Amino acid sequence: MGPDATLIWAGSLFAIAIAIGTAFRFLSGRGHRVKTSECIDLSRLKVSKNGVLVSEFGKKATLVQFSTEYCGQCPGVRRSLSQLEYRHGSLLYIDVDITDRLDLAAHFSISQTPTVFILDGLGEIKFRIGGVPKYAIIRAELEKLGAL
Amino acid sequence: MTELKRIDPRGPRFGAAITSVFAIIAFGFSLDNWVYAWLILWVLFALFALSVFGKNITHPYSYLFQKFVRPRLAAPAELEDPRPPHFAQQVGLSFAVFGVISGFFWPLGVTIAAAFIFLAAFLNAFFGLCLGCQMYLGLRRIGLLRQ
Repeated sequence: MGPDATLIWAGSLFAIAIAIGTAFRFLSGRGHRVKTSECIDLSRLKVSKNGVLVSEFGKKATLVQFSTEYCGQCPGVRRSLSQLEYRHGSLLYIDVDITDRLDLAAHFSISQTPTVFILDGLGEIKFRIGGVPKYAIIRAELEKLGAL
Repeated sequence: MTELKRIDPRGPRFGAAITSVFAIIAFGFSLDNWVYAWLILWVLFALFALSVFGKNITHPYSYLFQKFVRPRLAAPAELEDPRPPHFAQQVGLSFAVFGVISGFFWPLGVTIAAAFIFLAAFLNAFFGLCLGCQMYLGLRRIGLLRQ
């Protein structure tokens, strides 16, 4: 093979890498609707917030974020979702650390963190997003539930 | 857990950028003069091995980053847990080992290893997509990894 062919091969590999990266940028964090109509059991999650065990869902919607200690992008997502909760009274936001609770990860088939679930007022999972969520999508889904 | 020193996430990405340059050069060579490619894979193997096993040795990447890059950057928005990038280095190391060993009898293996190392390093450096980190929770879940 001459140098031309080598350049073509290397260029194709480069193009493949850019295509994968762009697809990832575009698709990651978009999420999808959940149809299984599973309700989350808060007593199983055992999340506390400000030192109090969370026992009730948000009036209109609840955002559940699953994080791990080694997750680099979780704190940023935590901040922006907390902000959202702070501004909207009927919305509850909880963060579940699943570092040592792999049973939860297995139960909800979580393979990456952050993963965010959007629940309706009754605690039923309506939407799930793997990876850093796109803010506009979260807003649109919460609007559908009347939480914003 | 908390005694682990948190790191600037741009450090590993800077290292990945250098690795990706090495890897695409190796990939290009591997199609023509695969022995050169093999030599570059040996270099990558040494670099990965150093970051996986060299606990108290300053890695050349982190030396470059701290000396020349970090002083020119603003403070990081977020510090990161070192475990996923460290795990990603282990994944990189296993590819380099595969390439280095197959160089003895199967030159195509060198090409394959260089291609995978390039893809992973490039996506990490320029898109912030860390394949190893993405696999980390999944692998722990199916029990292939421990803390």
